[in-house]
Amino acid sequence: MKKVTVPEQSLGEKVVKHAAAIKVAMKESVYPLTATVFYPRERKKMPDNFRGYLMFDPDKCISCWECAFVCPANAVQMKEAPNKRYYPTVDYGKCIFCHFCVDSCSGGALKTTKIHDVAYKDMDEMLTLTEEMIEEPEIIREDKKLVEYEIDEQDLHLKRTREEDTLFVEVTPPVEIPMVSQCIEPESCLGCRICEEMCESGAISSIIERQVVKMAIDRDKCTGCGLCVKECSMQILRLVRK
Amino acid sequence: MTDINTVITGLGIEGNQVSVPLLQQMLDLLPEIPMIKLLISFILWKPFFAALICPGFATLGILLLFFPWIERKLCGRIQWRVGPHEIVWWLGGIIQLLADSLRFLFQEVIVHKDAHRPYFLQFPFLTFIPALLPLLFIPAGNIVAIETPYAIQIILAVICLFPLFILGLGWASNSRFAFIGTVREAFMYFAYEVPFIIAVLGMIFLYGTSDPVGIANKQSIWGIILNPIAALTFFIAAAMATSRMPFEIAEADQELAAGPHVEYSGIAFGLIYVLCYEKAYVLAGLMTILFLGGGSGPEIAGLGDLSGVIWFLLKTLIVLTTLFVLRTIYPRYRLDQGLSIGWGAMLSLSLIALALSIALAQVGVI
Repeated sequence: MKKVTVPEQSLGEKVVKHAAAIKVAMKESVYPLTATVFYPRERKKMPDNFRGYLMFDPDKCISCWECAFVCPANAVQMKEAPNKRYYPTVDYGKCIFCHFCVDSCSGGALKTTKIHDVAYKDMDEMLTLTEEMIEEPEIIREDKKLVEYEIDEQDLHLKRTREEDTLFVEVTPPVEIPMVSQCIEPESCLGCRICEEMCESGAISSIIERQVVKMAIDRDKCTGCGLCVKECSMQILRLVRK
Repeated sequence: MTDINTVITGLGIEGNQVSVPLLQQMLDLLPEIPMIKLLISFILWKPFFAALICPGFATLGILLLFFPWIERKLCGRIQWRVGPHEIVWWLGGIIQLLADSLRFLFQEVIVHKDAHRPYFLQFPFLTFIPALLPLLFIPAGNIVAIETPYAIQIILAVICLFPLFILGLGWASNSRFAFIGTVREAFMYFAYEVPFIIAVLGMIFLYGTSDPVGIANKQSIWGIILNPIAALTFFIAAAMATSRMPFEIAEADQELAAGPHVEYSGIAFGLIYVLCYEKAYVLAGLMTILFLGGGSGPEIAGLGDLSGVIWFLLKTLIVLTTLFVLRTIYPRYRLDQGLSIGWGAMLSLSLIALALSIALAQVGVI
């Protein structure tokens, strides 16, 4: 049987190790490498692509539902607006701040902020409606200093400056690739007209010709949201580049 | 006026006054106010000054209010933490202990039904006797409350009374955690007490006197340089006696909750909490006298007798801080390791120190 024992050290080695420990303590007491940020009074500088509170611009939204489809926590839900369009709402009780919705947004309508201290009084308030996401939220700023982490070869240091970080970032919108819906197999069309009902921009129309329903897609009106592609029961619709 | 002067002479406090040249002019003006001369003479009377102000009550009180904060802040820095921070945050939480003591004061003192009620309530207060008595014999500079040639022995005797009161606390608590903590305390008590006493005896041998003022005056070379082994033994024993981190065996927070004083709450716990600091203060004072030259140091102009007081306090604070910072450097020893250090290494070290002292005394270094 192998017995675990204390490693044998000579007195000299022990003294050297004790001295090293005391030296570290003395060094840290004078110049500690503390990385604490005193949060309400200081704020850590966040990168521009920080995954924080979400803001929404309805003008850029094409109501493609992509944010709601991609959300892994099911926090984004689409709600019908007075203009009959569907816009996202975010439930911060569920949101895991993965920002898949921001990444998936083709028009750049959803954008991030550096606000990480999202707090609510109760569960009902956590469901943030579309109109609440358009305007900048009310935040109480107590911070006087901005803390930046600086990493040199060995250690991490804090650099404090007396300035306020802007929490709302202007992100350059993604390069928009204009897409359009196209029927690749018109002869297989059942004429169920689901695509026409789905289409929020009114690009799909149907004509009844000799008791046969013929669908037509207006390429100019189509926003390329892809809802009809998702809903087509025969799966004969595709998104193609304009 | 004449009456008061007669009273002062009658009390015999006139000759033995703390002289502070800087304040003398101000003090000379004050006797215009009736009775104030008697009061000031009484306060500046050296034995009374020692008992009341330094190294007595006032210093101890201020120390107890702020030293735990210094300790926590410093340990926090070393361990990359922040320490107490939120109470008066722009001063770094300096009145943390004031807030804590207020809380202790208004908390209920719970006496559980198995406890021996009279002793359970008495011991936290009784423990102040061994904590405060040594301060009467410890000189700050040349200011001392009771001058006796046997002062060091008396201090030792009173310090050695200390663990008995802790044992009393644990026994009166009548709880299993308190019981285990108490037994561990008793084990450690025997482990450190013998080398501790031998180390101090060695220093008494070396100086040939046990009058603390005499010892301080004799140290043209500091005791820590003359006999570093005794100093090391004394220091480790002090760490054991105050049950600080490497030897926090009796009150191991993680395993025994708080050792002997697990059952205490409210102001009784507050008193026990500061007890360790009082003991550390006394031991650091003793170490300053025996090894660091007491209140000796370059004369600070205009302060007269207070110069020695300031040097004494400064050295004591340094010793205290070193003692308390130990907890950031070392993890806790097991009970058996602590005992083997006490009865093995430290006992041998103290005997070597004693031999070294006798040799030095024979050579006639001092």
